[in-house]
Amino acid sequence: MTDPGLPPDLAAMDTRLRGVTFEPRASLGPEIAGRWARGERGGMDGPPGPPRRLALTALAALVVAAGAWWAERRDPGATRMVDRCCHDLDGGGVADDGVLVVTRDGREVRRLRIYEDLDRNGAYSPGDPVRFERGPVPAIGRPAPERAVTFRHCCADYDGGGPPDDGLLVIGAPPDRVLMAAIYETADADETAGSPLR
Amino acid sequence: MAPPRADPAVRSDAAILTGWYEAHGPAVYRFLRFQVATPDLAEELTAETFFRACRAAARYRPERAGARSWLVAIARNVLRDHRRRARLRDHLPLPTGGLRDLVSDAPSPEERLLREEEVSRLLAAVAALPAGERELIGLRYGSGLEPQEIAAVLGLRVGTVRSRLWRTLGRLRERLGP
Repeated sequence: MTDPGLPPDLAAMDTRLRGVTFEPRASLGPEIAGRWARGERGGMDGPPGPPRRLALTALAALVVAAGAWWAERRDPGATRMVDRCCHDLDGGGVADDGVLVVTRDGREVRRLRIYEDLDRNGAYSPGDPVRFERGPVPAIGRPAPERAVTFRHCCADYDGGGPPDDGLLVIGAPPDRVLMAAIYETADADETAGSPLR
Repeated sequence: MAPPRADPAVRSDAAILTGWYEAHGPAVYRFLRFQVATPDLAEELTAETFFRACRAAARYRPERAGARSWLVAIARNVLRDHRRRARLRDHLPLPTGGLRDLVSDAPSPEERLLREEEVSRLLAAVAALPAGERELIGLRYGSGLEPQEIAAVLGLRVGTVRSRLWRTLGRLRERLGP
Protein backbone atom coordinates (compact mmCIF):
# COMPACT_ATOMS: atom_id res chain seq x y z
CA MET A 1 0.00 0.00 0.00
CA THR A 2 1.30 3.47 -0.87
CA ASP A 3 2.30 5.43 2.19
CA PRO A 4 -0.32 8.19 2.58
CA GLY A 5 2.35 10.67 3.70
CA LEU A 6 4.51 10.13 0.61
CA PRO A 7 5.51 13.47 -0.95
CA PRO A 8 3.78 13.85 -4.34
CA ASP A 9 7.05 14.39 -6.21
CA LEU A 10 8.18 10.89 -5.16
CA ALA A 11 4.97 9.12 -6.16
CA ALA A 12 6.23 8.27 -9.65
CA MET A 13 9.37 6.60 -8.29
CA ASP A 14 7.26 4.75 -5.71
CA THR A 15 5.01 3.42 -8.48
CA ARG A 16 8.01 2.46 -10.60
CA LEU A 17 9.53 0.37 -7.81
CA ARG A 18 6.18 -1.09 -6.87
CA GLY A 19 5.91 -2.42 -10.41
CA VAL A 20 9.02 -4.56 -10.06
CA THR A 21 8.04 -8.04 -8.89
CA PHE A 22 10.21 -11.11 -8.82
CA GLU A 23 8.77 -14.58 -8.55
CA PRO A 24 10.88 -17.43 -7.19
CA ARG A 25 10.66 -20.58 -9.28
CA ALA A 26 7.79 -22.83 -8.26
CA SER A 27 10.08 -25.70 -7.29
CA LEU A 28 12.10 -23.65 -4.78
CA GLY A 29 9.82 -24.30 -1.80
CA PRO A 30 9.67 -28.08 -2.29
CA GLU A 31 13.43 -28.11 -2.92
CA ILE A 32 14.14 -26.33 0.38
CA ALA A 33 11.77 -28.63 2.24
CA GLY A 34 13.39 -31.63 0.57
CA ARG A 35 16.89 -30.50 1.47
CA TRP A 36 15.78 -30.04 5.07
CA ALA A 37 14.12 -33.46 5.11
CA ARG A 38 17.36 -35.01 3.82
CA GLY A 39 19.24 -33.55 6.77
CA GLU A 40 20.64 -30.33 5.34
CA ARG A 41 20.66 -27.64 8.00
CA GLY A 42 22.56 -24.78 6.36
CA GLY A 43 25.67 -23.53 8.03
CA MET A 44 26.58 -20.23 6.51
CA ASP A 45 26.94 -18.57 9.92
CA GLY A 46 28.88 -15.35 10.06
CA PRO A 47 32.61 -15.20 10.48
CA PRO A 48 33.67 -14.97 14.12
CA GLY A 49 35.18 -11.85 15.70
CA PRO A 50 39.00 -11.51 16.08
CA PRO A 51 39.52 -13.10 19.57
CA ARG A 52 37.21 -15.98 18.80
CA ARG A 53 38.73 -16.27 15.37
CA LEU A 54 42.20 -16.65 16.88
CA ALA A 55 41.04 -19.38 19.23
CA LEU A 56 39.19 -21.10 16.43
CA THR A 57 42.22 -20.86 14.15
CA ALA A 58 44.38 -22.57 16.78
CA LEU A 59 41.70 -25.18 17.32
CA ALA A 60 41.33 -25.67 13.57
CA ALA A 61 45.10 -26.14 13.19
CA LEU A 62 44.99 -28.76 15.91
CA VAL A 63 42.05 -30.49 14.28
CA VAL A 64 43.73 -30.39 10.86
CA ALA A 65 46.92 -31.88 12.28
CA ALA A 66 45.00 -34.59 14.07
CA GLY A 67 42.92 -35.14 10.95
CA ALA A 68 46.00 -35.51 8.76
CA TRP A 69 47.47 -38.00 11.19
CA TRP A 70 44.22 -39.91 11.26
CA ALA A 71 43.80 -39.75 7.48
CA GLU A 72 47.05 -41.59 6.97
CA ARG A 73 45.64 -44.48 8.87
CA ARG A 74 42.03 -44.39 7.79
CA ASP A 75 39.92 -43.75 4.72
CA PRO A 76 40.63 -40.24 3.41
CA GLY A 77 37.96 -37.56 3.67
CA ALA A 78 34.25 -37.50 4.34
CA THR A 79 31.94 -37.98 1.39
CA ARG A 80 29.12 -35.51 0.92
CA MET A 81 26.24 -35.43 -1.47
CA VAL A 82 24.59 -32.26 -2.75
CA ASP A 83 21.36 -32.37 -4.75
CA ARG A 84 20.13 -29.20 -6.49
CA CYS A 85 16.93 -29.12 -8.49
CA CYS A 86 15.47 -27.79 -10.73
CA HIS A 87 16.86 -25.90 -13.71
CA ASP A 88 16.76 -26.35 -17.46
CA LEU A 89 20.15 -27.97 -18.01
CA ASP A 90 19.58 -29.91 -21.20
CA GLY A 91 18.03 -27.16 -23.30
CA GLY A 92 14.61 -28.78 -23.35
CA GLY A 93 12.99 -25.54 -22.24
CA VAL A 94 11.60 -26.92 -18.98
CA ALA A 95 13.24 -26.38 -15.59
CA ASP A 96 13.03 -30.03 -14.65
CA ASP A 97 16.70 -31.03 -14.42
CA GLY A 98 18.70 -31.51 -11.26
CA VAL A 99 22.36 -31.97 -10.47
CA LEU A 100 23.67 -34.47 -7.98
CA VAL A 101 27.26 -33.96 -6.85
CA VAL A 102 29.26 -36.33 -4.66
CA THR A 103 32.34 -34.67 -3.19
CA ARG A 104 35.07 -35.59 -0.79
CA ASP A 105 35.91 -33.07 1.89
CA GLY A 106 33.54 -30.58 0.27
CA ARG A 107 36.08 -29.96 -2.52
CA GLU A 108 37.08 -32.92 -4.63
CA VAL A 109 34.32 -33.93 -7.03
CA ARG A 110 33.96 -37.70 -7.16
CA ARG A 111 30.77 -38.01 -9.17
CA LEU A 112 28.46 -35.62 -10.98
CA ARG A 113 25.09 -36.58 -12.36
CA ILE A 114 22.50 -34.56 -14.30
CA TYR A 115 19.02 -36.04 -14.09
CA GLU A 116 15.51 -35.21 -15.14
CA ASP A 117 13.21 -34.85 -12.15
CA LEU A 118 10.50 -37.00 -13.67
CA ASP A 119 8.42 -37.39 -10.50
CA ARG A 120 8.72 -33.65 -9.70
CA ASN A 121 9.77 -34.21 -6.11
CA GLY A 122 12.60 -31.69 -6.33
CA ALA A 123 15.32 -34.28 -5.80
CA TYR A 124 16.87 -37.31 -7.46
CA SER A 125 14.81 -40.50 -7.18
CA PRO A 126 15.71 -43.91 -8.56
CA GLY A 127 13.18 -43.63 -11.43
CA ASP A 128 14.50 -40.29 -12.71
CA PRO A 129 16.26 -40.57 -16.11
CA VAL A 130 19.98 -39.80 -15.93
CA ARG A 131 21.02 -37.43 -18.72
CA PHE A 132 24.70 -37.35 -17.90
CA GLU A 133 27.06 -38.93 -15.46
CA ARG A 134 30.78 -38.56 -14.92
CA GLY A 135 33.49 -39.41 -12.45
CA PRO A 136 36.16 -37.15 -10.99
CA VAL A 137 37.38 -35.64 -14.28
CA PRO A 138 35.29 -33.14 -16.30
CA ALA A 139 35.34 -34.16 -19.95
CA ILE A 140 33.14 -34.02 -23.02
CA GLY A 141 31.99 -37.58 -23.62
CA ARG A 142 30.69 -37.24 -27.17
CA PRO A 143 31.40 -34.97 -30.11
CA ALA A 144 29.43 -31.73 -29.71
CA PRO A 145 26.57 -31.41 -32.21
CA GLU A 146 25.90 -28.15 -33.99
CA ARG A 147 23.14 -27.10 -31.62
CA ALA A 148 25.05 -27.37 -28.37
CA VAL A 149 24.08 -24.80 -25.76
CA THR A 150 25.86 -23.68 -22.61
CA PHE A 151 24.19 -23.13 -19.25
CA ARG A 152 25.84 -21.45 -16.32
CA HIS A 153 24.37 -21.15 -12.84
CA CYS A 154 26.10 -19.17 -10.16
CA CYS A 155 26.31 -19.25 -7.26
CA ALA A 156 25.24 -22.05 -4.95
CA ASP A 157 26.87 -24.59 -2.68
CA TYR A 158 27.41 -27.40 -5.17
CA ASP A 159 30.31 -29.05 -3.38
CA GLY A 160 28.93 -29.26 0.15
CA GLY A 161 31.66 -26.95 1.40
CA GLY A 162 29.20 -24.56 3.07
CA PRO A 163 29.04 -21.12 1.41
CA PRO A 164 27.23 -20.65 -1.91
CA ASP A 165 30.37 -19.88 -3.88
CA ASP A 166 30.28 -22.51 -6.62
CA GLY A 167 29.18 -22.22 -10.20
CA LEU A 168 27.75 -24.95 -12.41
CA LEU A 169 28.65 -25.15 -16.10
CA VAL A 170 26.71 -27.48 -18.39
CA ILE A 171 26.90 -28.05 -22.14
CA GLY A 172 23.58 -29.39 -23.32
CA ALA A 173 22.26 -30.62 -26.65
CA PRO A 174 18.53 -29.87 -26.81
CA PRO A 175 16.11 -31.28 -26.15
CA ASP A 176 17.39 -33.78 -23.62
CA ARG A 177 21.10 -34.54 -23.94
CA VAL A 178 23.90 -33.29 -21.75
CA LEU A 179 27.48 -33.39 -23.07
CA MET A 180 29.49 -31.98 -20.22
CA ALA A 181 28.96 -30.76 -16.68
CA ALA A 182 31.38 -29.36 -14.17
CA ILE A 183 31.44 -27.11 -11.14
CA TYR A 184 33.90 -24.39 -10.32
CA GLU A 185 34.78 -22.26 -7.31
CA THR A 186 34.35 -18.49 -7.56
CA ALA A 187 36.47 -17.62 -4.54
CA ASP A 188 39.84 -16.84 -6.01
CA ALA A 189 39.25 -15.53 -9.50
CA ASP A 190 36.91 -13.63 -11.72
CA GLU A 191 33.67 -15.57 -11.73
CA THR A 192 33.69 -15.91 -15.50
CA ALA A 193 37.28 -16.88 -16.14
CA GLY A 194 40.28 -18.59 -14.65
CA SER A 195 38.51 -20.89 -12.23
CA PRO A 196 39.49 -24.52 -12.78
CA LEU A 197 36.64 -26.84 -13.62
CA ARG A 198 36.10 -29.66 -11.19
CA MET B 1 -2.34 -16.03 6.13
CA ALA B 2 -1.69 -16.67 9.79
CA PRO B 3 1.83 -17.85 10.63
CA PRO B 4 2.02 -21.53 11.46
CA ARG B 5 2.63 -22.36 15.10
CA ALA B 6 6.24 -23.20 15.77
CA ASP B 7 5.63 -25.89 18.31
CA PRO B 8 7.90 -28.85 17.54
CA ALA B 9 5.78 -31.05 19.76
CA VAL B 10 2.76 -30.42 17.57
CA ARG B 11 4.26 -29.96 14.13
CA SER B 12 7.36 -31.45 12.54
CA ASP B 13 10.22 -29.19 11.48
CA ALA B 14 9.53 -29.91 7.83
CA ALA B 15 5.86 -28.93 8.21
CA ILE B 16 6.84 -25.67 9.92
CA LEU B 17 9.34 -24.91 7.16
CA THR B 18 6.82 -25.67 4.44
CA GLY B 19 4.15 -23.54 6.11
CA TRP B 20 6.48 -20.61 6.58
CA TYR B 21 7.75 -20.85 3.03
CA GLU B 22 4.26 -20.96 1.55
CA ALA B 23 3.21 -17.90 3.55
CA HIS B 24 6.37 -15.80 3.34
CA GLY B 25 8.90 -17.44 0.99
CA PRO B 26 8.27 -15.08 -1.94
CA ALA B 27 8.57 -12.01 0.35
CA VAL B 28 11.92 -13.24 1.65
CA TYR B 29 13.11 -14.07 -1.87
CA ARG B 30 12.06 -10.65 -3.19
CA PHE B 31 13.86 -8.85 -0.37
CA LEU B 32 17.03 -10.77 -1.20
CA ARG B 33 16.53 -10.33 -4.94
CA PHE B 34 16.81 -6.56 -4.55
CA GLN B 35 20.18 -7.11 -2.84
CA VAL B 36 21.96 -9.65 -5.05
CA ALA B 37 22.65 -9.87 -8.76
CA THR B 38 21.39 -13.32 -9.68
CA PRO B 39 18.25 -15.38 -9.10
CA ASP B 40 20.47 -18.37 -8.23
CA LEU B 41 22.14 -16.56 -5.36
CA ALA B 42 18.82 -15.19 -4.11
CA GLU B 43 17.48 -18.75 -4.09
CA GLU B 44 20.42 -20.08 -2.14
CA LEU B 45 20.22 -17.29 0.44
CA THR B 46 16.47 -17.88 0.71
CA ALA B 47 17.13 -21.55 1.44
CA GLU B 48 19.68 -20.62 4.09
CA THR B 49 17.17 -18.20 5.64
CA PHE B 50 14.57 -20.92 6.04
CA PHE B 51 17.10 -23.43 7.35
CA ARG B 52 18.11 -20.94 10.02
CA ALA B 53 14.49 -20.08 10.79
CA CYS B 54 13.70 -23.75 11.23
CA ARG B 55 16.68 -24.23 13.50
CA ALA B 56 15.48 -21.30 15.60
CA ALA B 57 11.76 -22.13 15.40
CA ALA B 58 11.46 -22.82 19.11
CA ARG B 59 12.72 -19.30 19.86
CA TYR B 60 10.17 -17.54 17.66
CA ARG B 61 7.75 -15.37 19.68
CA PRO B 62 4.71 -14.35 17.61
CA GLU B 63 3.77 -11.71 20.18
CA ARG B 64 7.06 -9.88 19.55
CA ALA B 65 7.15 -9.86 15.75
CA GLY B 66 5.09 -11.03 12.81
CA ALA B 67 6.44 -14.11 11.03
CA ARG B 68 7.29 -12.13 7.90
CA SER B 69 9.27 -9.51 9.83
CA TRP B 70 11.06 -12.23 11.77
CA LEU B 71 12.00 -14.13 8.61
CA VAL B 72 13.16 -10.98 6.85
CA ALA B 73 15.30 -10.15 9.89
CA ILE B 74 16.92 -13.58 9.54
CA ALA B 75 17.39 -12.96 5.81
CA ARG B 76 19.23 -9.71 6.68
CA ASN B 77 21.63 -11.70 8.85
CA VAL B 78 22.12 -14.32 6.16
CA LEU B 79 22.88 -11.59 3.64
CA ARG B 80 25.28 -9.84 6.01
CA ASP B 81 27.13 -13.11 6.65
CA HIS B 82 27.27 -13.84 2.95
CA ARG B 83 28.78 -10.42 2.26
CA ARG B 84 31.33 -10.80 5.04
CA ARG B 85 32.37 -14.16 3.69
CA ALA B 86 32.51 -12.78 0.19
CA ARG B 87 34.84 -10.02 1.39
CA LEU B 88 37.00 -12.46 3.31
CA ARG B 89 37.34 -14.59 0.23
CA ASP B 90 38.06 -11.62 -2.02
CA HIS B 91 35.05 -12.24 -4.16
CA LEU B 92 34.50 -9.98 -7.09
CA PRO B 93 31.02 -8.56 -7.56
CA LEU B 94 28.79 -10.96 -9.42
CA PRO B 95 27.76 -10.02 -12.92
CA THR B 96 24.11 -9.31 -13.60
CA GLY B 97 22.52 -12.70 -13.92
CA GLY B 98 19.48 -12.06 -16.04
CA LEU B 99 15.92 -11.36 -15.05
CA ARG B 100 14.29 -14.71 -15.67
CA ASP B 101 12.36 -14.30 -12.40
CA LEU B 102 10.90 -10.90 -13.30
CA VAL B 103 7.11 -10.93 -13.45
CA SER B 104 5.98 -9.17 -16.60
CA ASP B 105 2.70 -9.01 -18.47
CA ALA B 106 4.35 -7.74 -21.64
CA PRO B 107 2.35 -9.10 -24.57
CA SER B 108 5.32 -9.63 -26.89
CA PRO B 109 8.97 -10.72 -26.56
CA GLU B 110 10.08 -7.27 -27.74
CA GLU B 111 8.09 -5.53 -25.02
CA ARG B 112 9.35 -8.01 -22.47
CA LEU B 113 12.89 -7.13 -23.52
CA LEU B 114 12.18 -3.42 -23.20
CA ARG B 115 10.69 -4.00 -19.76
CA GLU B 116 13.79 -5.97 -18.72
CA GLU B 117 15.98 -3.12 -19.91
CA GLU B 118 13.99 -0.65 -17.86
CA VAL B 119 14.13 -2.83 -14.74
CA SER B 120 17.85 -3.50 -15.25
CA ARG B 121 18.45 0.24 -15.23
CA LEU B 122 16.39 0.63 -12.09
CA LEU B 123 18.19 -2.24 -10.34
CA ALA B 124 21.57 -0.86 -11.34
CA ALA B 125 20.63 2.43 -9.67
CA VAL B 126 19.46 0.55 -6.56
CA ALA B 127 22.69 -1.49 -6.53
CA ALA B 128 24.71 1.74 -6.55
CA LEU B 129 23.03 2.95 -3.34
CA PRO B 130 24.73 2.54 0.04
CA ALA B 131 23.90 -0.84 1.64
CA GLY B 132 21.48 0.64 4.21
CA GLU B 133 19.42 2.42 1.58
CA ARG B 134 19.41 -0.60 -0.72
CA GLU B 135 18.14 -2.62 2.22
CA LEU B 136 15.31 -0.15 2.79
CA ILE B 137 14.25 -0.49 -0.83
CA GLY B 138 14.31 -4.29 -0.51
CA LEU B 139 12.26 -4.25 2.67
CA ARG B 140 9.65 -1.85 1.29
CA TYR B 141 9.35 -2.88 -2.35
CA GLY B 142 10.72 -6.42 -2.24
CA SER B 143 9.13 -7.81 0.91
CA GLY B 144 6.26 -5.34 0.88
CA LEU B 145 6.69 -4.43 4.55
CA GLU B 146 4.91 -1.35 5.88
CA PRO B 147 7.02 1.43 7.46
CA GLN B 148 5.95 0.24 10.93
CA GLU B 149 7.19 -3.27 10.19
CA ILE B 150 10.43 -1.97 8.71
CA ALA B 151 10.95 0.11 11.84
CA ALA B 152 10.58 -3.04 13.95
CA VAL B 153 13.04 -5.00 11.79
CA LEU B 154 15.65 -2.24 11.81
CA GLY B 155 15.08 -1.06 15.38
CA LEU B 156 14.29 2.48 14.24
CA ARG B 157 11.42 4.90 14.74
CA VAL B 158 8.73 4.94 12.08
CA GLY B 159 9.42 8.58 11.32
CA THR B 160 13.10 7.82 10.76
CA VAL B 161 12.23 4.99 8.38
CA ARG B 162 9.90 7.25 6.39
CA SER B 163 12.38 10.09 6.07
CA ARG B 164 15.20 7.72 5.05
CA LEU B 165 12.98 5.99 2.55
CA TRP B 166 11.88 9.25 0.97
CA ARG B 167 15.45 10.49 0.83
CA THR B 168 16.40 7.25 -0.94
CA LEU B 169 13.55 7.60 -3.41
CA GLY B 170 14.68 11.15 -4.11
CA ARG B 171 18.20 9.94 -4.76
CA LEU B 172 16.97 7.29 -7.18
CA ARG B 173 14.84 9.84 -8.99
CA GLU B 174 17.89 12.08 -9.41
CA ARG B 175 19.91 9.21 -10.87
CA LEU B 176 17.23 7.88 -13.17
CA GLY B 177 15.44 11.02 -14.16
CA PRO B 178 11.67 11.47 -14.19
